[in-house]
Amino acid sequence: MTRKAAVTRKAAVTRKAAVTRKAAGLVLIAVLACLLPHQLNVYWVHVADVAVIYGILALGLALTMGAAGQVNLAQVAFFGVGAYGSAILTTHGWPFWVAALVALVAAGLVGLLVSIPALRVQSHYLGIVTLGLSLAFTNLVTNTALTGQADGLNSLVVPPLFGLNLSSDYVYYYVELAALALCLAWAAFVVHTRLGRRLRAMRDDPLAAASIGAEIPYLRITAFVLGAAFGGIAGILYAGLIRYVSPASFSLSSMFFVLAGFIIGGRFSLLGAVGGAVFLVLLREELSNYEAYAQILYGGLVVVIVVFAPTGLVGIVPSITKAIKRRTKAVRDSRSGASDEVQQTRLGAAPYQAVRLTNGGSSTGVADSSAALVVEHLTKRFRGLTALEDVDLLVPAGQIRGIVGPNGSGKTTLFNIISGIYTPTDGTTEVFGFRASRATSYRLARHGVARTFQNLRLFGRLTVRDNVLVALDQSRTVWAWRYFLWPFGVLHADATMRQDADELLSMYGLSDVADSLPGVLSYGSQRRVEIARAMARRPRILLLDEPAAGLNGQEMHQLAEIVRDVRASGVTVVLIEHNMGLVMSLCDQVTVLANGRVIADSTPEVVAYDEAVIAAYLGDSSDDNGSRPAQVNT
Amino acid sequence: MTDGDTRLPGLDPAALVVEDLTVHYGGVQAVRGISFVVGAGESVGIIGANGAGKTSTLRGILGLIPRRAQTLSLGGEDLRRLAASQMVRRGIGYVPEGRHIFPGLPVEKNLLLGAYTRRWRGCADQLAEVYELFPVLKEMRTRLAGALSGGQQQMLAIGRALMAQPRLLVLDEPSMGLSPLLVNDIVSVLQRLHETGLSILLVEQNAKLTFATTTRCFVMDQGQIVKTGLATQLRDDPEVRRIYLGL
Amino acid sequence: MQLFMQTLVGGIGFGAVYALVGMGFTIVYRTMGLVNFAHGQIAMIGAFLSATFFLDTKLPFAVAAIMSMAATAVVGLVIEGILRPLEARDFDLMLIGTLGFGVVLEAVATRIWGATGRAVPAPVDRPLQVFGIIIRTYDLVVIGVGAVAAVAVWVLLNRTKAGAAMQAVAMDRDAATSVGIRVGRSNAMAFALGAGLAALAGTLAAPLLYVTPSLGSSLGIKGFCAAILGGFGNINGAVIGGLAFGILDGFAAGHFQQYSDTVTFLVFAIAIMVRPTGILGELTVNRA
Repeated sequence: MTRKAAVTRKAAVTRKAAVTRKAAGLVLIAVLACLLPHQLNVYWVHVADVAVIYGILALGLALTMGAAGQVNLAQVAFFGVGAYGSAILTTHGWPFWVAALVALVAAGLVGLLVSIPALRVQSHYLGIVTLGLSLAFTNLVTNTALTGQADGLNSLVVPPLFGLNLSSDYVYYYVELAALALCLAWAAFVVHTRLGRRLRAMRDDPLAAASIGAEIPYLRITAFVLGAAFGGIAGILYAGLIRYVSPASFSLSSMFFVLAGFIIGGRFSLLGAVGGAVFLVLLREELSNYEAYAQILYGGLVVVIVVFAPTGLVGIVPSITKAIKRRTKAVRDSRSGASDEVQQTRLGAAPYQAVRLTNGGSSTGVADSSAALVVEHLTKRFRGLTALEDVDLLVPAGQIRGIVGPNGSGKTTLFNIISGIYTPTDGTTEVFGFRASRATSYRLARHGVARTFQNLRLFGRLTVRDNVLVALDQSRTVWAWRYFLWPFGVLHADATMRQDADELLSMYGLSDVADSLPGVLSYGSQRRVEIARAMARRPRILLLDEPAAGLNGQEMHQLAEIVRDVRASGVTVVLIEHNMGLVMSLCDQVTVLANGRVIADSTPEVVAYDEAVIAAYLGDSSDDNGSRPAQVNT
Repeated sequence: MTDGDTRLPGLDPAALVVEDLTVHYGGVQAVRGISFVVGAGESVGIIGANGAGKTSTLRGILGLIPRRAQTLSLGGEDLRRLAASQMVRRGIGYVPEGRHIFPGLPVEKNLLLGAYTRRWRGCADQLAEVYELFPVLKEMRTRLAGALSGGQQQMLAIGRALMAQPRLLVLDEPSMGLSPLLVNDIVSVLQRLHETGLSILLVEQNAKLTFATTTRCFVMDQGQIVKTGLATQLRDDPEVRRIYLGL
Repeated sequence: MQLFMQTLVGGIGFGAVYALVGMGFTIVYRTMGLVNFAHGQIAMIGAFLSATFFLDTKLPFAVAAIMSMAATAVVGLVIEGILRPLEARDFDLMLIGTLGFGVVLEAVATRIWGATGRAVPAPVDRPLQVFGIIIRTYDLVVIGVGAVAAVAVWVLLNRTKAGAAMQAVAMDRDAATSVGIRVGRSNAMAFALGAGLAALAGTLAAPLLYVTPSLGSSLGIKGFCAAILGGFGNINGAVIGGLAFGILDGFAAGHFQQYSDTVTFLVFAIAIMVRPTGILGELTVNRA
């Protein structure tokens, strides 16, 4: 067995073991959680009740911030809307569960409103805006008569539930536990199926996600609505437990508190988020006589986690075991005299098998005589710099076209305009007749444009299979209503996509590494994943930006095979390349850019020996200091 | 071990010595163990196509990216353990790829910052020399550097590096993005500087510029030196073109 | 008219405070690439130190202010060392990390000075009469001191070698290194400068607000809003944004009384959506 095969086999075995371990762990936690109240006195059961509520609140953060990457410092406001909503309505005589439902919907609507700034700003800007909106909420409820102002609303009703005595904290605990279990299950359902995958892809790389069709604005709205819904649920449970709501419970300190729990537990893990929040509530209660010290402790923990273990406590155990394994391997290697390879052995894709059959790609056959891409008078200026000047380009359907030129000639800018990342200053682009000049990336993806990136933009926290699955998902965001009303449809569709993904992965020789994260793959394999992902979209035109950069001879050969097969399946290919040898052997036609202008556009043989092209690469021949370049004879 | 402050090039057996330099950058090995020497007062060029590892070589020498080397010394002084900010004190003037002038500061402030390691009061002579070499900078001395044209910014970047009175001037693709006329200006400036006895290490994609301003050249491809020779020899060598175009 | 002028002057007064917070925050961001959400808590520490010097050691207000600025700058150097590892993290993590650190600072302040807080009387009390309109003198003091501080910062950044170095590092870290600037040292000084400005802001705000450990939160958030409103990363923007936010806040308080925060932050959210780059445009840091 080759070394690589052994490595992948071992990886598969390790993964199975990990899944079994995880399942066992979950069962254990569930059992312990059910048994817990019998070990505690009344006071601590109440604390446990509060802890579970904060766990659900943190779960909302895990969806908005952890899964979708949207900074959400308004989570405590959603908490408040849920709590105040049910409190106000029940105080006005509404039946509890009706009030709860209305409050939940209200929380979702507020989440939708708060998501609007996220369409315009992200990251720390969004942090400040959402923080400000949190303050606005607190200010509002502190001063409105309806919400009881600073005193809040008290003597709220006990929620009725099939005759159970929910005024008992013991009984309430089990109700909450059931709610938490449901919430966790549903959150996991979202995260591990198509919507969650899209959200995570958006988090990892919004640009790449858009290029494979993710409708970024709608996804951001969805992320906030999901987080708000969980916040609302937590709020409703809170009102039912404490039966007293006041602004103090929904202050900035509460926001930082649940944020800290979320980070400390593990921002990329649902269980981590819940566990972190629960842990902090228990910790704070334990140190209730030393409030300031408790604050120093959890504030300091946040800093330590962010610096040393950004994936939280949940991520520490795997890191430690990995580090130990690396150490023992290094010791073993040095003893056995194995070479100190500078790059660790990275997993690799299997050798690509050329397919040579049309694989039901695009609906247009190769004989289609329409133009795949028409670029006319395209100009792009940035502040003071003209990247492209009056560029014309016509790519017939089914061609393999090369775009070459020295550094800084505008090639990637051209791609960025065609794929919707930039808008042109002047001129137009058309893809299969569709006016593409000002369309967004995700709209262009729906019209059959797919691309790879010069600097590799894979979704780092998604497995290879998930990277491909995200691209296979051709649905619009609105399809997600099924998550609320018809989850079985989601599961069924996911299963179908998985089959398609496995086929695609096998075609590209990636089956063995399908469950690995892209980061452990060799550079050449990562490039192949990016191409497979782009092809999963079933595009009509594929843009490859320097696909051969960093590849060795064998990998480049395989790349050429892949490109030929892609074209044979009916897809037009345009590639930017520096390696003229590859371009010569692969491309039907070559366009040369220099200083933002087209200086040559012909077959590879003609272009390679064109004086202007040679001058562009080697330097201007305008000075006569020395002999003219000798005529090249092959 | 020669005293680092010696400014008479004749006493240094060699100015810059590089032996077995390796650089890892962005997950790939950008430079795979190259060795070369820039003699005192010599003008040496490194040419090659995009991605050959030329810029990584320079940034590695200057300590701006992590590197390993058997030997890396200037005038006998070991550079390997020095922090990047100490390089200028040892006499290396750096003109980065893409100019990298300070766009929000006026031209004269940019130049003064070149002499950061010295007292600004005593810089009047250097400043006058730089203005004499680049009269256009004197005209624009109060303009913000970001408002200058590409060619003017290149002059500014070279002038800034000269302000510290370096022993070795290292330039990374000074001709990038410049029109042929401006490239000729760069050529004359570099020739003038060479005549003053300054050692020059020039990295360029533009082979013609390099042949006109250097005495010795190396051709790099995929992180290694694949060809060396006198500028006059390489100028007429068809293999150079083949390497560039990847044929 | 009376009310309008009073509100305006009061708003500009608070605006000066927010501008100082925003300036310090922006200087740290521009030079170090660090988005420091604990900056408000640093201002709060400065406020407490001034209060202690002013009320307990009975030093004159100005002296107390200067000593507080110096002490806070020194504390800033220590804090910079602690926060330095965060510079390598992406902005989301930086935000959370510095928020966590802010919680720590707030708790430390609570331990040292207690949670109840102190009221600091204004050093000048008599109201001033300008064209028949009564204006609180202290507001003018705040505006005056703020203006002087802004000018001093300008001089430091544009007329000194250290200031040039700070600006150079902000514009191009690698180029700054290659001319011999020690980026680490320059950043530490920049942080100390930012901390000093924060302390001044906190000190000036002390007589206007109640000095409690939670003062840091409100000053901080409003200071950050000011910086973003004026144009994130733009020092002039921090000044303009501060004044704008202060005036917005002042008029919101005047017209909507207790609902002022709600209105202020809603207007801010809308303003940022309309123009995310802020009034003067943002100057992002190149974190290659």
